[in-house]
Amino acid sequence: MSVFLSSLGFGLISAAVLAIATVGFTLQFAVTNVLNLAYGSVMINSAFVTYYLNVHAHLNAWVAMVGGIATGAVASYLLNRFVFTPFQRRNLLPITIVIVALGVDLCGTFGLQAIVGGSYFSYRQSLGRELHFWGMYFSTLQLTIIGICLVVMGLIHWLLKHTRLGKAMRATSANPSLARNSGVRTGHVISMTWLISGALCGLAGTVFAMNTGVFEATSAQLYIVLMLAAMFLGGPGEAYGAMLGALTIGVATELSAGFFNPQYKEVIAFVVLLAMLTFRPYGLFGSEKTI
Amino acid sequence: MSAILFYLATLIVYGAVDSMACLALNVQFGFAGLSNFGFIIFQAGGAYVAAILSMGNWHKSNGGFQQYVLGWHLVWPLPWIGAALFGGLLAIPFTLLVGKRLRGDFAAVGLLVSAVLLNQLVNNFVPLFNGAAGISIVPAPFQGKWDPQGLGYQFAYGGVAVVLCVLVYFLLRRVTESPYGRSLRAMRDNDVVADALGKNVQVQRTSMLILGGMIAGLSGAILVGFINLWSPGAWGYAETIVLFAAIIVGGAGNHKGAVLGALLVPLGFEEATRFIPPLSNPALVPALEWVAIGLLIILFLWFRPDGILPERRRILSGSKSVPVTTPPGVESDSLINLGNLDQMDFRQLLRIEGDTNDHGTILSCTNLTRAFHGVTVVSDVSIEVQRGRLTGLIGPNGAGKSTTLAMLAGTLAPTSGTIHYEGRDITSMPSNERAKSGMVRTFQLASEFKKLTVLENLVSAIPRQSGDSLPGALRGRRFWGREDGENIERAKEMLEGFGLSQYADNYAGGLSGGQRRLVEIMRALLAEPKVLLLDEPMAGVHPNLAHKIGDQLMALVKSGMTILMVEHELSIMDAFCDPVIVLAEGRVLAQGTMSELRAMKEVVEAYLVG
Repeated sequence: MSVFLSSLGFGLISAAVLAIATVGFTLQFAVTNVLNLAYGSVMINSAFVTYYLNVHAHLNAWVAMVGGIATGAVASYLLNRFVFTPFQRRNLLPITIVIVALGVDLCGTFGLQAIVGGSYFSYRQSLGRELHFWGMYFSTLQLTIIGICLVVMGLIHWLLKHTRLGKAMRATSANPSLARNSGVRTGHVISMTWLISGALCGLAGTVFAMNTGVFEATSAQLYIVLMLAAMFLGGPGEAYGAMLGALTIGVATELSAGFFNPQYKEVIAFVVLLAMLTFRPYGLFGSEKTI
Repeated sequence: MSAILFYLATLIVYGAVDSMACLALNVQFGFAGLSNFGFIIFQAGGAYVAAILSMGNWHKSNGGFQQYVLGWHLVWPLPWIGAALFGGLLAIPFTLLVGKRLRGDFAAVGLLVSAVLLNQLVNNFVPLFNGAAGISIVPAPFQGKWDPQGLGYQFAYGGVAVVLCVLVYFLLRRVTESPYGRSLRAMRDNDVVADALGKNVQVQRTSMLILGGMIAGLSGAILVGFINLWSPGAWGYAETIVLFAAIIVGGAGNHKGAVLGALLVPLGFEEATRFIPPLSNPALVPALEWVAIGLLIILFLWFRPDGILPERRRILSGSKSVPVTTPPGVESDSLINLGNLDQMDFRQLLRIEGDTNDHGTILSCTNLTRAFHGVTVVSDVSIEVQRGRLTGLIGPNGAGKSTTLAMLAGTLAPTSGTIHYEGRDITSMPSNERAKSGMVRTFQLASEFKKLTVLENLVSAIPRQSGDSLPGALRGRRFWGREDGENIERAKEMLEGFGLSQYADNYAGGLSGGQRRLVEIMRALLAEPKVLLLDEPMAGVHPNLAHKIGDQLMALVKSGMTILMVEHELSIMDAFCDPVIVLAEGRVLAQGTMSELRAMKEVVEAYLVG
């Protein structure tokens, strides 16, 4: 029982980080139809900016975090403006954009590595007081991450359901040409989407690095697999599906680590992703049309 | 001096291995349109299998310091053959991913993720291939008889590798420069349309995944026999991206391009960076190497998307004509002048059989219904199509005309209802089989195979080509060449009839809207349909031309063909179609001749006026 509860606790923290990342990723896909495999590299670059601001420039952690978020937003916006949109205008196959994204990912990740080197970095601050509830142990940092996640999910819900921009994003996602003909400025909506999802990406990178504590330039390279698993579980392009998918994948990976072998912790995410792609590529609750 | 010679031998082996891998991946990606982002799995699998087949049992060899499965101690060339077979076998589970109608980028992601997963599993599960440490001291072929460290041996090894690479080159060329290769490229350009013309895209993709897997496996075997070790570090998922970069740089869809890319990218990069002196930051050079690969991909896709050696345009017409370009500002559709269609003998050219006076039901559907997540688009549609007639299907936008046609052709599965064709229930028959049995459709949106020439578009549709299968293609031009020549002549005759001969060797993607419509109609006709399903064939066609096409459709019907045509243009319906079926809001509203329909109040209200 205690293994279960402590794994569940870990799972909730992983899920919190994953949810922030996946919601941003899936929003990009929904609105712009780009499967942005360079997402992980933007995450880790943002994480390094936060780290630099906090540890070397001695800024307050929250201020540094804002720096990371801004990095993610600006980098994603520029990527779209100068790479993805020009390629998309050429009416290429979706696969070409994916290959371009992989190229961007290599540049982003290894460009960072060329600058910071191949060694590991760690936050030296304390994790804060340890708290425990019902057999689950959390540090103050971990509780903060869960809190951030809940606030962000609330904001996304508010954005999508109660703002003009959110409605325009949903309309663009459902049918871009119809949205344009109905007076939605899709170009503006797409730019805003990259800014917002980029901010989520930057935040995700920052909390990802803070949560693991020790990280390097290539740490987020495989994180995209967890995000893909969460996204396909909830249905590609579905923000709420991504939240649910992230919760499932986050908890499932930590539970499997607790009960089986931590070395194979991610295997469950891989298996879920492959099964979803093979049998239900539109998600557990999605409809065929989204594909 | 001898150090340079040893280095040269190593270069030759690496060059041959990389070239083989790129050739195989290029056939999958450049010809068949399969984005195999997990390609490295197959090379790695071949390397491991070749290693453990040539090594002895792990308990007994070298004091058991490494563990692995099998260990059969086989003599060359058995480990290499085993590696190739294993590469092919390994492809089979992945056909689940690529065989279905999954978005190309989703399937690619699935393969990429599989590569990451398998690498992690092999890395962590030691009993299989000795985990992260990998397998070492893999015996070189004939190592008891010759000294693998000798210069002669190394050059001989390089020679064998090059010979195998050349064999692979010619084997793959044989496959791609055949009618089968044409079908592969058609599938690459538009898989739904290829399927509707009778190509079994699932089998084609599976075959290419297996063939590529076998070659990749062999290339892995050659590599491991030379470097004598193999570990998960050697086959990270990103190695596949390097191979993709090679093909993009060299030229996708061109075998020579694949070889050039292999020599420039994996080999060139690896070797060039060897000569950079060590720096204070040891991660810098490898990191910059990856950045360079990434930049190479992006810059080439932007500035030279077809690579250094672009795909070759296949001239089938036999003439040495340059492609026709329409001068700017000229409405090229107005230049179309249907040629000598009146003299064409459709019955002979299109192999139409049967009695022209038989007007029995050939195709029918009963209570056909289709819903898209809750919204019913077609409900309870029952229609009958009579042999030797031109039946029209009209209705306002969103009436369900195209959906009905798609269900009849098998492009869309009905939610409920049945379809009968020539007395058989074909409701669950895949569309490519329907096409083979004589039901051929066209598409509302442009559906030409863009990077096939006009003539290739036409020839690709001709059924029962003996060179249009992997075994047929492998038997070579002597087996299918004569027949293909006859097919090309038939297609040229058709092209002449429609007055487009001068465009024979143009890429179909570069034609005007009206010309592409004609190509599509000609292509559908050459598929030898008994029933031709046309989805708005006149959309975007000059009205004069539309009526000329209509005349030809009438001629076809008189020679015994059956046509069902979705069309908006009422003047076309008036002139040519009998009977006409009216759909509105997913239901059959009425049926009859146009003059009968004009007399019906509800039809006029639903459609003719509104």
